Amino acid sequence: MQEYLSNGRLLRLCLKELRESLRDRRTIMTLIMMPILVYPLLSMAMQRLLLGAVSAPSGQLEYVIGVADETTARVISLALRETQKAASEGVRPSIEIIRPAPKDANTNPLSQRLNETNGEGENALNRSESAPGIENGMGINSPTAGAIRTNQQAAFSIVVPERTTVSTSLADGQLDLAILSASVERFPFPNGVSIPLFEFKMEFRDGDPRSEMAMAEFRKAMQLINDYQSALLRGNRLPASVTLVSNAVGQRIDPMASLAGVLPLVLILMTITGAVYPAIDLTAGERERGTMEAMIATPAPRFVLLLSKYVAVVTVAVLTAVANLFASWVTLSLGGLGRALLGERGFSFWTLIQIFPLLVIFAAFFSAILLAMCSFARSFKEAQAYLIPVMLVSLAPALVTLMPNVEFSTLLGIVPLVNILLLSRDIMTGASTTLPAFAAVLSTLLYAAAALVVASRLFGGESATSGSQESWSDLMRRPKRRFPTPDIGELAIYLALLFPVFFVATNLAGQWMLSIEQKLLVNALLLCVLFLLAPGFFAIYRRMDLKKTFLLRLDGTENPNGLPRPVRLLGVFAASCLMAAGLWIVAYEALKLLSDLGFGTIDLQKTAALEEAKSRFREVPFWLIFLTSALIPAICEEFFFRGFVLSAFRSRLHPTRAVIYSALLFGVFHVVNGNVLSIERFAPTAILGLALGFLAVRSDSLWPGILLHAIHNGLLFWLTRFNQSELAEWLGSDSEHFPTAWIVASVGSIAIGIVVLYFSTLKRSDEVSS
Amino acid sequence: MIVAKGLRKQFMVRGQTLVAVDRISFTVGNGEVYGLLGPNGAGKTTTLRMVMGLLDPDEGHVEIGGVRTDIDPIAIRSQLGLISTNDGVYPWLTVREMLMYFADLYAVEVPVAQIRLEELAELLNIRSFLDQRCSTLSTGQKQRVTLARGLMHDPPVMLLDEPTRGLDVVGSQTVFEFIDLLKKRGKSVLLSTHRLDEAERVCDRFGLLHHGTVRYEGTLDDLRTLTGKYHLVDMFIDLIREDRQSVPSPTAGA
Repeated sequence: MQEYLSNGRLLRLCLKELRESLRDRRTIMTLIMMPILVYPLLSMAMQRLLLGAVSAPSGQLEYVIGVADETTARVISLALRETQKAASEGVRPSIEIIRPAPKDANTNPLSQRLNETNGEGENALNRSESAPGIENGMGINSPTAGAIRTNQQAAFSIVVPERTTVSTSLADGQLDLAILSASVERFPFPNGVSIPLFEFKMEFRDGDPRSEMAMAEFRKAMQLINDYQSALLRGNRLPASVTLVSNAVGQRIDPMASLAGVLPLVLILMTITGAVYPAIDLTAGERERGTMEAMIATPAPRFVLLLSKYVAVVTVAVLTAVANLFASWVTLSLGGLGRALLGERGFSFWTLIQIFPLLVIFAAFFSAILLAMCSFARSFKEAQAYLIPVMLVSLAPALVTLMPNVEFSTLLGIVPLVNILLLSRDIMTGASTTLPAFAAVLSTLLYAAAALVVASRLFGGESATSGSQESWSDLMRRPKRRFPTPDIGELAIYLALLFPVFFVATNLAGQWMLSIEQKLLVNALLLCVLFLLAPGFFAIYRRMDLKKTFLLRLDGTENPNGLPRPVRLLGVFAASCLMAAGLWIVAYEALKLLSDLGFGTIDLQKTAALEEAKSRFREVPFWLIFLTSALIPAICEEFFFRGFVLSAFRSRLHPTRAVIYSALLFGVFHVVNGNVLSIERFAPTAILGLALGFLAVRSDSLWPGILLHAIHNGLLFWLTRFNQSELAEWLGSDSEHFPTAWIVASVGSIAIGIVVLYFSTLKRSDEVSS
Repeated sequence: MIVAKGLRKQFMVRGQTLVAVDRISFTVGNGEVYGLLGPNGAGKTTTLRMVMGLLDPDEGHVEIGGVRTDIDPIAIRSQLGLISTNDGVYPWLTVREMLMYFADLYAVEVPVAQIRLEELAELLNIRSFLDQRCSTLSTGQKQRVTLARGLMHDPPVMLLDEPTRGLDVVGSQTVFEFIDLLKKRGKSVLLSTHRLDEAERVCDRFGLLHHGTVRYEGTLDDLRTLTGKYHLVDMFIDLIREDRQSVPSPTAGA
């Protein structure tokens, strides 16, 4: 494969695929024409939707008021007739309903605006100024007599819900307003005239524009009565004509949040649209054109063939994403819709810069899925038939993200497509959180890698060339031949399965109310299952050579030097002890340094809680801590990272690169720490991973690494047995850091360990080369 | 040099086992054209695919230049060239781009590929449309591009799968000239066809396939002696007749 990956050949192969895609007018149509057409149209549709969502429904609207019984209905009708009378006398309402501009996610835009535009606002209704009343002599309308129009804008019809309470009907959306109780009293004047004094207790749906508007209109109407009577009876101090107590009920629905989710969905759908045609054309299209057979008859590895196609599809998808992102940015910025959708910040250029990498990651993921789906299709038509269900299936969870109050929780971070949608939405509204974001990005990349591996195995397979009945199921079949170690493809598939399970499991375990001892045991159990048993079973199922994959031999050196075996072994194990003796101090200092630099995730305010947790931790017997936090992790993690992962990388890569990649992966997995993201753990763990990888490659055995890992973890946890003052006393310096002499000694110990290891595992080839 | 030994391949079709090729053996020497002949469904394409390493034989193996293909099926592919009836071209690429693409797939270095491209352009008369997009080419031009594509990596072994199907007289003549060229360059050519008249013109030796087995093998003279028929067509008609007689049918003897 090397000759295809070097000399710019891969680049030329990619260029061929890109040329083929980009010279096709259909690709260009999707790439350029679609964004030009879609966003202005979408913008118009959104503007209409937005007006409907956040402002008063205009025109002759009729609101439905629910009342508990007929008596209440009569009181309401009476009040509404009073408003008609006031209006007919030419009284203008002192409350104006302003169509509010959005938004502050935590406040009710409507009520806020009402209060802002009219300083008296709701209070005006409760003012104790009224006038000597006039008997209006009006009868009370029957509730069924039709809607009562209070002014030119709004009309109210009054209903008595059958079988349910008004509150339930309101919650169900059958009513716009619910009046729980209404009373009217006559306030008599000495001249025999009386005025009605109303009191209402009502409810409306919080965040529902229609219900909020109904409430505002009703309040405005009632204010009319107050204004009318205070104008008539100027100077007389009376109780308020209308006393109105309103209550917002239900979970607040923020119409903006759901609308803000539309944009990422549209962007992602358009990115998909851009990728679909090239994905089909470069896979099923090859077969339909009759170029597939000639291509796969060449010695070029299928993975390389597919990789070049993948690069082309991702490039077209990213170009589509850029075109769409730019078009949407221009449309939203020019039309002012950005602010309406996304708040005061609008759709800033910075937001655009943040969203772009997400779209690239998504393009990388979905292109791989598309290629996997199309790779075993024999024609364009067949590929389309496979893709349509995939698109529909992915749309369903995508629509979930449009629902209001869907929070980007940690667990949703690993759900493909949904995670990127929610993350984009949160970035746009400025509310993103680190842990789900990390999970979203990492899991999407892992899924992409796994899908690409699947695609490369399906691409040009027998099913695509000879018409036999083989398909997806072949991938899961147990291989007939024995393979010595896993390859990178198998690793990608295993990681794509492992990461979500690991992530969910550590999160759930973090949420359970467990004692410290139980937590330690659960964590150890998880490690055993995910890093020891599962890869073990996977290796057995795939007929791998277990001894070779997991470096199980005590002395794996294949080309030993002249040293006797016991001396060689002694050297290797002594080296691991020496390295462990130094590494834990280096790891501790690196962790401290990174925390000091602000990479720490431990909140200072939580220090007290942390101290308490530490003191409880000190009560746990040390043998249990050693077992669950040092010995079991050492065995399981070495088994997986220096066994499975390193072997997989070594199957294709130079050992140095294999060690580096496995160390990076080791670091990444340690960043997810229960339900917090400990970024500061990455570097120290990756350094430990490098040392362990180096040890495994040199010794060709897992056991020295297990020893090093167990001592390293054991010493670090032993340190937690002491409280600050004990540490200070013991170290003879400030409790935060080790004395310089210790640090120098630890570096020296590591260096000596490396030298001892080098000479103990010196192979004849090394001697020759040196 | 191609050596096929005891090749066997069966497929599962709707739950039933179908033996496509049943223990076929043959040898093709350098500078020799071997005709793998047979009616549709005789197993010609399956045999070619096994020689190419696109299909793993259930039994037997193939050697190319003395190296077994199942040991390193990928590496052996650079020794093989393939031209098939169904071969298409990339409509959006120019002829030059397409040929250079295949040179890359065969890991031919760019300067070498450029020299070879010039040589083939002359030999197959494609120079005039080298920089034209493939979608604009006529059928005959496309065919010549396909032939050039098969030689971009100058393989010692060439596999031709029904190369004249669907071509007119001029097109077929181009293919015959191409085969002559291959022969002169000392390449081993394995030609699968059901056009027996054409096979007589270009092949040195023949393997007559029927129901997945080689029924007759040898030079045209060998076959004539063996079957007592002069033309390949007559030999085949005999084969098919034998087949019908061996399968009793309700109308047999009527």
